[in-house]
Amino acid sequence: MEEKKVDIIDNVNTYLSFKLKDEYFATNVKKVLTILEMKPITKVPNSPDYMRGVINLRGNVLSVIDMRLKFGMPTTEFTTETCIIVINIEIDNEELQLGILVDAVDEVLEIKDSEIGESPSIGTKYKNEFLQGMYKLEDGFIMLLDIDQIFKTEDTILNKEAESLVGLVDITES
Amino acid sequence: MEKFREKFIEEASDLINELEKLLLEIEGDKANNELIQQIFRVMHSLKGGSAMFGFHKIDQFTHHLENIYDLIRNDKLAISDDILDVTLASVDHLRNLMHEGDDSDTRNQVQHDLLLSKILQISDENTINKVTSLTIQETDNRAIDELATYYISFKPKKNIFKFGTNPLYLIDELCDIGETKVFVRTDNLPDFDSLISTECHIYWDIFLATNQGINAIGEVFIFADDQCDLKVNKISDINLLEEESFLGIIDETIKNQKEIDINQLTQLTHDLEKVFIRAQKDQIKEKLATTNVDTNISSIRVSSDKLDNLINWVSELVTIQARLSLFAKETETNGLVPIAEEVEKITRRLRDDVFSIRLIPVENMLTRFQRLVRELSHQLGKDVVFKTEGTETELDKNIIEALADPILHIIRNSLDHGIESAEERQKQGKPKRATILLKAFYSGTNVIIEITDDGKGIDPDKIINQAILKGLIAPDTELNKKEILDLLFQPGFSTAEKVTKVSGRGVGMDVVRRKITEIRGEVDIDSEINEGTKLTIKLPLTLSIIDGLLVQIDDTKFVIPLSSVDKCFEFKHTVLVNSVNNLIRTDNNEIAYLNLRNLFKVEGEAPETEHVVAVQFGDLKIGLSVDNIIGQYQAVLKPLGKLYKKQQSISGATILGDGTVALVLDTNQLITQFAQDETKIGG
Amino acid sequence: MGKKILIIDDSESIREVVSFTLENAGHEVLKGIDGKDALKFLDGSHLDLIITDLHMPNMDGIEFIKNARQKPDYQFVPILFLTTESQTAKKMEAKDAGATGWIIKPFVPEKLLAAINKVVR
Repeated sequence: MEEKKVDIIDNVNTYLSFKLKDEYFATNVKKVLTILEMKPITKVPNSPDYMRGVINLRGNVLSVIDMRLKFGMPTTEFTTETCIIVINIEIDNEELQLGILVDAVDEVLEIKDSEIGESPSIGTKYKNEFLQGMYKLEDGFIMLLDIDQIFKTEDTILNKEAESLVGLVDITES
Repeated sequence: MEKFREKFIEEASDLINELEKLLLEIEGDKANNELIQQIFRVMHSLKGGSAMFGFHKIDQFTHHLENIYDLIRNDKLAISDDILDVTLASVDHLRNLMHEGDDSDTRNQVQHDLLLSKILQISDENTINKVTSLTIQETDNRAIDELATYYISFKPKKNIFKFGTNPLYLIDELCDIGETKVFVRTDNLPDFDSLISTECHIYWDIFLATNQGINAIGEVFIFADDQCDLKVNKISDINLLEEESFLGIIDETIKNQKEIDINQLTQLTHDLEKVFIRAQKDQIKEKLATTNVDTNISSIRVSSDKLDNLINWVSELVTIQARLSLFAKETETNGLVPIAEEVEKITRRLRDDVFSIRLIPVENMLTRFQRLVRELSHQLGKDVVFKTEGTETELDKNIIEALADPILHIIRNSLDHGIESAEERQKQGKPKRATILLKAFYSGTNVIIEITDDGKGIDPDKIINQAILKGLIAPDTELNKKEILDLLFQPGFSTAEKVTKVSGRGVGMDVVRRKITEIRGEVDIDSEINEGTKLTIKLPLTLSIIDGLLVQIDDTKFVIPLSSVDKCFEFKHTVLVNSVNNLIRTDNNEIAYLNLRNLFKVEGEAPETEHVVAVQFGDLKIGLSVDNIIGQYQAVLKPLGKLYKKQQSISGATILGDGTVALVLDTNQLITQFAQDETKIGG
Repeated sequence: MGKKILIIDDSESIREVVSFTLENAGHEVLKGIDGKDALKFLDGSHLDLIITDLHMPNMDGIEFIKNARQKPDYQFVPILFLTTESQTAKKMEAKDAGATGWIIKPFVPEKLLAAINKVVR
């Protein structure tokens, strides 16, 4: 009898990848609720630029974060591909729903833990603590984000609005 | 086929709409079994039709979705907000799939994969415990689906053909559910001469390896079981048909025996069975057990929950009514506007009545205060009596709940810092016994709660010294008494010269004010040296719906609570810009105004004619300039979210009739926050 | 030889596609939109086969069969269920009500005809 074995140690996770400028990022789909097409966003006065404002998600108010601005990239015109990914994050042990504005969603892909490479400590402008690792493609790579970590710093950014709003870019290393 | 397809698309969009309606309904009524059944039925119809008409993506998608609701209706899974979120997102997605056909753009494809993976996650977690879903399922069925081998003895009765049943079809169906080894037994066949062609004389021994379970086998024969003798036995938990040795044995047995002895057969397979680990099955059972427990504990505080539901429905109704009014105005259909107005009127009444149900008397929270006064005064060696007035005054139960802590803190402060020792009081010529009075009463659409003590009061000089010491104000700042006392609410301020065990626990009056602001209340303090201190808390009657004035600045819409609106005026833009010290003439008065366009840093030009909404700010009237006044609006308040919690001048948001979001202004905060800057900038 | 067949389904598109398939195979088809509506065909017309959906408003398939079986003319006429439902309990219920068999949606025309041929001769 032919023995088929399931490798239990090597976990497979499902990720949603998306595009910002010319870079690819991905987040575990566990964090993702749904994808919305672009809709009118109500800007909240006197909030940082990367906080685009709020939208109506089934009768509730959802904050929308512009990931380009959050990651210190230049802003851009919206296209038909621009969309809002609704994610669940955890801040201070509290669940929070949040929309993130991205240039385009790319695909849903399955990645084995063994396929995730460590993010190089040099050569990337992103702080290691925000990255789970890298997934190598034939022509480039996808950065797997630890989305909770990114927004964990939200409070500190808000508290010191005068300081750099760019939470993710490690200026000292670039 | 194409015309059937079109018809189905019509049907399907009705089904999808119905599904959405049912989902929204069940959100507020999760225990409603009938709704679950209906949801399942609608999904089922959708699945059936889409499979029929070649919408394979929808078919497959709905199939997985339906599995979740199958688990729910069989009490194997409790419906949760997470599940509803995913299902509602799926409804939107199904609608897209239906309209755009199966080959749509990237976003739809990604959305599809995303939702599917979430759906599978939900149903997998609740069926079989395993590491990951998709890949393993495809590559290795055995580990997951528990193939087992069955022995089936099928002996049709002679008259089986009469009932329209063809035994060969049944065997065909068996072959469809798994791998089979079929032995035809002809030893009962009579001589050719006595053979009757309408009777059945043959019988079958069948070995079947399937993952469908014994019930699936029974189902094949379900409509024929009166017309045959059927024996189904599970003989192994693995697929024996892959085992050469087993095949040899049964071949031999069939040859030599007319009847197969089941006991003998199971004996043979016994050793093989041990190979398989049954742990998985136990895990499933455990999992099922826990989900069942979860389902049981959900509604204990029935009355209160139902009340909350009711409030939610009324809030929804108010939102929908706003949509109706908007629609009525836009379409200009004859007679629709009066109906919409009527609905608005009734909605308003319904709202008021429903909210009044949730009101409970202030009395409900007094026991805690009484105990605090009793225990703490003992501890401090002070003689204090706690008196109450107007305790029948009613407030929303959520407000009462949120109010208890701040009031406890105020009373604690009073006892600790305000009230003197008995000797001290005698020296001052005051009655030995001190009094703390809690008084509640209505004032317009507000409830006022006053907490007064007859203690030593607060010395303004001490406050100023303290504030200077803490760096809260510059040494030469000129302040009136009200402003001085207001310093007490500044973060980081504490008048106690030494931190005491009772109230100096790092929680200051700033926290009291914050808590009260959170429930849209206001708190003020007044004090006279040697006479006492009075805290005044002003509260809204309810929390979730306010009457407001809808205004617009650029593209953004704002709601100003009607309770603070005094009057509206029209001004030419040029008049406003040229006003001296931001003072404008209204009626017979001059009032100061805040230019919201500037304060909110809105880009672009103001319109030629602007509007100024005069709002009450303490004893003053302050104007707020906006581009346009749209009209009165009942706003269902929604929190703006944690990320905007520092945004004090915006107390929340509301969804407008057209589905966009408007921001609700807290005029008091707004004015406090900007008044100073504006007088500096303006002029 | 063509048979007279009654199809009952609340979905118009399913009704149409079934009748289209059967008519192409040379059968005569009557259509009912739910159990209650279909009862009218039981009096007067001689039917060779009835195919009915399970979940329908007003009168579901099970209820319909129970009604039909009470009529002397319809005690032995084959009645097939055409449905996406695959629960055994439902099948048992249908059998107890007097159903002859079961066809799972979706079906391809050949399969539908094959299933019909099993019971109609």
